[in-house]
Amino acid sequence: MAFVEQHIHDAPTSFWSKYLFSFDHKVIGKQFLWYGIFFLMVGGLMAMMIRWTLAYPGVPFPLIGNLLFPHTGGVVPPDTYAMLFTMHGTIMIFFAITPILIGAFGNFCIPLMIGARDMIFPTLNMLSFWFSMASGVLLLASLCLPLGAAAGGWTSYPTLSTNLGQPGMGQTLWLLSLFLFGVSSTMGAVNYITTVITLRAPGMDYFKMPLTIWGIWLTSILNAIFVPVLGAGLLLLTFDRVFGTTFFLAGAAATSGRGDPVLFQHVFWIFGHPEVYILILPAWGIVSDLLSFFARKPAFGYKMTALSLTTITVLSTVVYGHHMYTTQMSPLLTQSFMTLTMLISIPSAIFFANWLGTLWKGSIRFHSPMLFSLGVVFVFGLGGLTGLYLASTSIDLYLHDTYFVVGHFHYTMAASVLLGGFAGTYFWMPKMFGRAMNETLAKWHFWLTMIPLNGIFTGMMVVGYAGMHRRLYNPFIYEFMNKLIPINQFITYSAIAMGLAQFVFLYNFFKTIFFSKNEPLASDNPWEVGTLEWQIPSPAPHYNFKEIPHVKCGPHEFGNPNLKTGRDFQYQTEELVEVK
Amino acid sequence: MNISFSERLFGLIAEVETISTSGNRVFTFWERISPPEDISTSGHLIEWLFNYTTYVNLFWFALVCIGLFGFSYLYSQKRHKIALYTHGNEKKHLLITAFIGLGVFLSVDMVITKISTRDMKEVFWNFPEGDDVLKVQVLAQQWAWNIRYAGKDGEFNTADDVVQLNNLVVPVGRKVMIQMTSKDVIHSFYLPNARIKADAIPGRYAKLWFDTTKTGNYEIACAEMCGTHHYLMKGQLTVLSQEDYDRWLQESQELAIATNDTEDMDLRWGWKWGSR
Amino acid sequence: MNSNRAHDMKLIQNSVAMTVTLISFGMLFATLFLGYFLLRFNSPTWPPVEIQNMPQLIPFLSTLVMALSSVTYYLLEKNGPQRKLMWGLTFILGLAFLALQWSLWGALKSSGILVSNGMVPSIVYGFTWLHAAHIVLGLIALLWIGCLIFMKSPSLTSFKLMNVGKFWHFLGVVWLLMYLMIFVL
Repeated sequence: MAFVEQHIHDAPTSFWSKYLFSFDHKVIGKQFLWYGIFFLMVGGLMAMMIRWTLAYPGVPFPLIGNLLFPHTGGVVPPDTYAMLFTMHGTIMIFFAITPILIGAFGNFCIPLMIGARDMIFPTLNMLSFWFSMASGVLLLASLCLPLGAAAGGWTSYPTLSTNLGQPGMGQTLWLLSLFLFGVSSTMGAVNYITTVITLRAPGMDYFKMPLTIWGIWLTSILNAIFVPVLGAGLLLLTFDRVFGTTFFLAGAAATSGRGDPVLFQHVFWIFGHPEVYILILPAWGIVSDLLSFFARKPAFGYKMTALSLTTITVLSTVVYGHHMYTTQMSPLLTQSFMTLTMLISIPSAIFFANWLGTLWKGSIRFHSPMLFSLGVVFVFGLGGLTGLYLASTSIDLYLHDTYFVVGHFHYTMAASVLLGGFAGTYFWMPKMFGRAMNETLAKWHFWLTMIPLNGIFTGMMVVGYAGMHRRLYNPFIYEFMNKLIPINQFITYSAIAMGLAQFVFLYNFFKTIFFSKNEPLASDNPWEVGTLEWQIPSPAPHYNFKEIPHVKCGPHEFGNPNLKTGRDFQYQTEELVEVK
Repeated sequence: MNISFSERLFGLIAEVETISTSGNRVFTFWERISPPEDISTSGHLIEWLFNYTTYVNLFWFALVCIGLFGFSYLYSQKRHKIALYTHGNEKKHLLITAFIGLGVFLSVDMVITKISTRDMKEVFWNFPEGDDVLKVQVLAQQWAWNIRYAGKDGEFNTADDVVQLNNLVVPVGRKVMIQMTSKDVIHSFYLPNARIKADAIPGRYAKLWFDTTKTGNYEIACAEMCGTHHYLMKGQLTVLSQEDYDRWLQESQELAIATNDTEDMDLRWGWKWGSR
Repeated sequence: MNSNRAHDMKLIQNSVAMTVTLISFGMLFATLFLGYFLLRFNSPTWPPVEIQNMPQLIPFLSTLVMALSSVTYYLLEKNGPQRKLMWGLTFILGLAFLALQWSLWGALKSSGILVSNGMVPSIVYGFTWLHAAHIVLGLIALLWIGCLIFMKSPSLTSFKLMNVGKFWHFLGVVWLLMYLMIFVL
């Protein structure tokens, strides 16, 4: 895209305009990072309580149980348990992963990696953050209501989520909070899409963009299209709850007129399936880039990877029905959805081939971002392949709504996205805050996360295959599940271990940002890679690029044997050195 | 057989785990992670496809691991100082990736799709009809299963209907056809021992069928989140021999007719069989 | 960089952003329409309960008003000297549309069609509420444009006029579809 004049403004000086109501994409990115980490901790604590209840039903939650649930002597009560898993899902998906992967890395990376001075609409960007802030506050506020927060699962299927099943204000606040979140996401998406289309530095073709940008850009497109679908569903459900319409009412909930509860499931999953890819696409992009950066080798099949990302984006919009096999849609629809779902494995397999192709004959440096990226390849391999069971209509008869599903989507949506997020955080830390994190601690963090993580989610799939279904306060009142107690305890211990391991990250993170003022700043290019953001000082200056760079080659030019510069990589602003 | 091999494989773990809470039974590790006993004529189809998928998945995942760990070992900076300069855009490379993509698709996806569709069409969607099929209506509510048999006249919602709470009694070896709906919120009728489930949605009639091969007491679960006491929504599937079942039905019918209360309209929750 | 090129770039930026925004808004309404079709085709009879005396005149009038306001906005974009008049007409027509919707709800209520009466009333009320809420947004945008016009502000660019116009025409199209779906078909 042609050159657009971008003015250099003075850096803000006051605390308010610099750190709170900042228009600077880097500051907004960091705000989203803090926001996401905060909610990650909240959601993580909830996960611990859920896991504890599943392993030791009726036993007080250790340490803080008495503080949180004084009426029951520290035991998580059943209604609170329902709130916990509802809020855990909502918080992790919308308030932890989305802000970190899309809010933080999207904001931080897009202008820096495409060579722009800021997002195209800085005000919209700031508004986007403050809308998501308001939505987070609403959600947390709903936890303090007398009747408690929403407790119908993160999917909030009516008629459980209508006034019949959720009489309290919690569900209404949940709906409003998610609607606000949707407004914020859509604002962000409009901004990201327009920025990528119009603000790319001269010479930055679509096929010279780093794959991170590809991932985030495609995510934004999905966001712009499908978040409003959820918005419409949420509004109609709000109408049902507050104004007495009957869109989703049936059975006992429908006193004067009826609608159709399955309609909500359609609307929810038309959004919900793309949402899965909204979460994973940025992580895939980051991982595809990092594998090439640390294998010191051009990304294998770069164009194929970019096109596969696009294919998956398109396919993700037409497969949503596989979440609803058990509602007994017409056989024709069910079969079409199964076939379409299976098609996704072609681009996914091409990814894996390209990722492994990138590693093949590389010269791999095992820095922490690389370790986490390799971790993503491993866990996404497991997560993706287990999806095949659930895509099949007949196996789904048995596995639907069991812990197998829980294990599967945690592998894809939680484990790989989280590891991808950590990879990105370790990687861009020098450019964000000026100093790299401690490598030794980072590697400890990786192994202490990776091992229990697989314990948790493989364990979940095992108990799921053994028949344990979801959202049970005490699974062991079922006789056939009694034998699963030890495995559930094993999962819980793994979860506790993984939870504790995150303190290594937190210590490292806080120490690097706040308590390392005496240490020297990182060099401009500590990882020795060629994308645009590594040509400017660390941390990135207020207006990124003094002069808008002119891009001449792709983002992954490593190991060119004819390089005369003494480096093994090329900056994107350098003319590509011919091999022949 | 798998089991003997795995028992040997997990023998060590099994020895460590000796405690069991239910009835002093000692489980091996393999038994612990196996699904509940299959008592249906159709469950083995699901298990077969599950196992097939597992084997092919293991094959492909092993390839990923070989690549991941093998390349990490062989091409670490220490062992492999200079990386190969290739963009992977050559025809050869594209062919390899396309081959892998298609390989996965053909060996896993197409097979699963085909077998799954066949099973659904021939078995799970092939709802039995005729007089020898036992017809049962299920009304789910927070948090119980109401179960209704047609009784002598073969018509639902009449005075001789046998109504059970949380106890589905079926004769062994006879096809059971269930129609269900829900009174309040969405539930899901889940028979772990028959590997089958279907959502009971208010305002709609879902159907499901199964055929048992073994007598005994098994469990019915609700698989869809239906409120605070979702976990307590447990029912029992009692599979009786044909003679026991006939005796039970006779007694229950007499009891039903004797205790029938024509005034109480709440008892008339049944519907005409087959209505939408 | 010459000013012509800068203008072109600005035009592209504005078009891209507004297109994406309208796609988002469009998906919101498209979901409503999808819901309408699913409810309608899953229902054995339509309307499921006999709905009598569905007002016909008021929605027809509001469709006319909406169409007229689109025309006046088009003239506002085109016409230099009559800007203030055209702006005033558009704004008044927008307010008139809201008033008509208000009377539509009143008429529905007085003919016994209440919100909680089932699918058709839910659709009529729910959809028109959402559309009216967007009309309010559109009126706020119009008011902002009006301020800029009357203050002769230099920041009133053709892009702002274009974007607000696109949104206003979009709402007109949505209303037309709603009208056809709910009241005609």
